[in-house]
Formats: sequence, C-alpha cells, structure tokens
Amino acid sequence: MNKLLIILTICAAGLFACKPEHLILPGEPVKQLSGNWQIIKATRNGTDLTARFDFSHFRIHFADSSYTIDSLVPFIVSKNGKWAFDNPAYPFSISFQPADSTAKRSPLLYPVTNGQRNVIITFSPGCSQNTYQYTLQKAN
Amino acid sequence: MESKNIKQGRGRMFRRIAGVAWKVAGALLLLVIAGCSMTIDSVTQPSAINAGDVLPVTLNVTITTNTAQTQNFMVAVLVPKVWKAAQNATITFTSDITSGDQGMTVIPAGTAAPNGGGLDWPTYLAGKIGNGGNLLPDYEWVAFYSNTSYSVAGNATIHATVSIKIKTSPDNLLFKLGYCVANSVDGLSSSDRYGSKFTNCFQSIGTGDLIDFCNPQLANIDPRTSLDNDIISLTFDGGVQSTPLDNASQVYLCISGITDGGDSLSVCTQTDQTKMTALGLNKWSKDIWPRKLFSLTDNQHLTGLRYWFTDASGGNKVGYAGTQDPFIYTFKCQ
Repeated sequence: MNKLLIILTICAAGLFACKPEHLILPGEPVKQLSGNWQIIKATRNGTDLTARFDFSHFRIHFADSSYTIDSLVPFIVSKNGKWAFDNPAYPFSISFQPADSTAKRSPLLYPVTNGQRNVIITFSPGCSQNTYQYTLQKAN
Repeated sequence: MESKNIKQGRGRMFRRIAGVAWKVAGALLLLVIAGCSMTIDSVTQPSAINAGDVLPVTLNVTITTNTAQTQNFMVAVLVPKVWKAAQNATITFTSDITSGDQGMTVIPAGTAAPNGGGLDWPTYLAGKIGNGGNLLPDYEWVAFYSNTSYSVAGNATIHATVSIKIKTSPDNLLFKLGYCVANSVDGLSSSDRYGSKFTNCFQSIGTGDLIDFCNPQLANIDPRTSLDNDIISLTFDGGVQSTPLDNASQVYLCISGITDGGDSLSVCTQTDQTKMTALGLNKWSKDIWPRKLFSLTDNQHLTGLRYWFTDASGGNKVGYAGTQDPFIYTFKCQ
C-alpha cells in the first residue's frame, strides 16, 4: 500500500513538473560599426601591402549613419559622408555616400578573428581592374 | 578441430580473392584513366605584327588514344591580359575524325577543370604549365572547349590543326606566347595527357611605352595599369645591368608627376619620403600613392610619371637603360 502511494506521489509530482516551455528563437543582432576602425591588413590584387605602405594613421569613425575619415589612404571614398548596410542584421554590402559625390558600394565580410570583430571591404580606388581588400578592426 | 581448419582455409581463400580483385579493379581503373596523350608538334606564328592587327597562329597537334573516350577538346593560350583574348580570340580546328571547321568557345569563368582539385582552367594552367618565362605578371591563360564532344576510338592516332586568331590591342609589347591542348576528361592529370609549347619573344609593334615581358627591366611599376589614386610599387633592379648605383648603400626615388594641365610636379630630395626599401641583390622598391606624394588638389590629376633613381647624395642618377633619360609611366586603365 505504501509502495503504491509512493509511486502515485512520484507520478503526480512528475506530471506537475512537466510544463510546456515557450522557446524564443534568438534574433540575429544588428551588426554594430560604431566607433573608430583602423586597417590591420591591406592587399592589392592579392599582394599584401600592409608592411609596405603606411596605413597606420588611417582611421574611419562610424557613427549611427555617418562616417568621418582621418589620415586618408587610397580608400573606397575620400570624403566624409553617410554609410548604410544593405541589411542591418545580415549585411552583405556597405555603401558610402560622400557629401559631394555618388555612393560607392563594397561587398562586406564581418568575421570574428581571435575574438575581435573584423570588417573586410573590397573596392577599386583607381583602375577598376586593381582590387584592394582592407581588413578593418576597432582601434583602441 | 577439422572445422576450425576449414574456416581458416576459407578465410585465407577469401583474402586472396579479395587481393586479386583489388588488383584487377586497379588495372581496370588505370585503363579507364589512361585516355589520350596529346602533343603540339609545331606552332606557326609570325615573330611580329602591327599592334591592333589579328595575330594568326596554327598549331599542329597529335592525339593518341589508348581507350575509347568521349571528350571535349581543350585549347588554351597564354596572352597579355591587355589583349582581352576571352573576347577577342576565336579558335577553330580541323581533324582526321571531323569534317570542316570545328568551333570552340571560351570556358566560362569558374568552371572547374577535370582532375584540377576544384581549380578553374586558367588557375590550373598557370600552376601546372607556368608562365613561359614572362617577367611581368600581367598575363593570363584563356581556355576554350570545343563546342561539341567527340567519341574517339581506342588505339587511334588523330591529327588536328588548330587555328587561333587573336585581335591584338594597340599596345607596344614583347611577350612569350604559350599554348596548351588537352581534353575535358583527363585535364592536366599527367604530363602525357596534354601538350604545351611556349614560343620565343613575340613583338606587337604599337605606340606608347614598351611593355616588355621578355627582358629583365632595370625599373618596373606594378600594377602596369593604374591611376593616380592607386598605390603603385616602383622597383629598381640593379642586377640587370651595371649602373652608378652598383655600390650605393641606399637608393632614393626622384620622380616627377605630369598633371592633366601639363604641369610637372617634382619630388626629388633624398628623404624618408623617397627612400627605397632594399630587397637584396641590389634590388630596391618603393610603394607610393601619387595623389599624396604630389599633394594633388581635388581637381588635379596625373597623366604620367617621369622618374629616376639616385644615391643618398643625389649626385648619381640613373634613368632609362642606365642613361640620364627618365623612365616613363603613363596612367591609364585597360
């Protein structure tokens, strides 16, 4: 009799212990660019220029929708202006709209390397057949 | 005990049969893989043409088959990129097993080459066949497949005559042309599966700066085509010939930018801005961004450069072919 009671008690406790769990799928966070970014790697037509040309002073500061550039190097744009992702949650490209000229668009990669978020953009500042790829990382 | 012996005997027998089966399968596989061997017996091309004309080339090819195979014929040419051969070349061929001219079409970019480990034809050809000794990197392999596939019998010898016609660009250049023939099944899987030939230095007599792929250059600028907003790499190779900078412990750039307004802007002082980096063996390089070096305004653009190399004193100055004449570079895109 006691055993039966114990089993019934366990079953009742088990039934009450079960309740539907409402799963909320995590949303893809909006990619953040805010802050100062520096060039940590630069290639031209696949050739690494990082150690051959002084990119160390270049900074690009992204605010909510605008950007400013310090110590310009050959870049997708040469004037300050507005920027936008094609899709803030899943960006595949970034556009730069300088104040005084037409918008330029670059394919975008957004990998995390050694715990640091990198932004990789690809563009041609001179001849279209010369392709540059800059890897940007947050500057301290 | 007897039953155990029987089981062991059966096991040995099974292993022996399996071993023989593997060998037979391997041999069959080898027969399947062993398809065609190809050779380019001769190349007929002019040693020089006027730039802008059509370059006619004829290849005589022999194909020897071991087994019956159905395949597309592949012909590739190594050409200067500036010719844009994918758009400006036509290739046809005749052979013992076909009737009339057979058309060929450029293999679309990104098409994986057979047995190429995922590489496309141009990359596979560059890695396997090489660049024929061309010293500037502005060359490319352009590969064509026959428009139809052909069934070839086993143990046959087929002769084909390939006709290549390339509309050249107006550029003045020296280049070592290259050719490769293969098929769509074997690719470049082993050296007897394809034929390749490089020619001596060919000249396209045009206007403008000579683009010399054949001979080592005292000075060079990479990329060969650029604008003043590109980063350009200037190289001085003192090993090519003896110059007054043979024993220089440091080499500097002395350079003038010619603007679209006709002005000449000069940067010719021996400072860190013009100091070149030693690469060893008397070879020096400098990467510049012309717009910054010449402090150009937004409305100023450069059409070209005139440049020399100097020692630390600036007293020894080396220009084109070791003379005092400047090296000349023109800003342009293809």
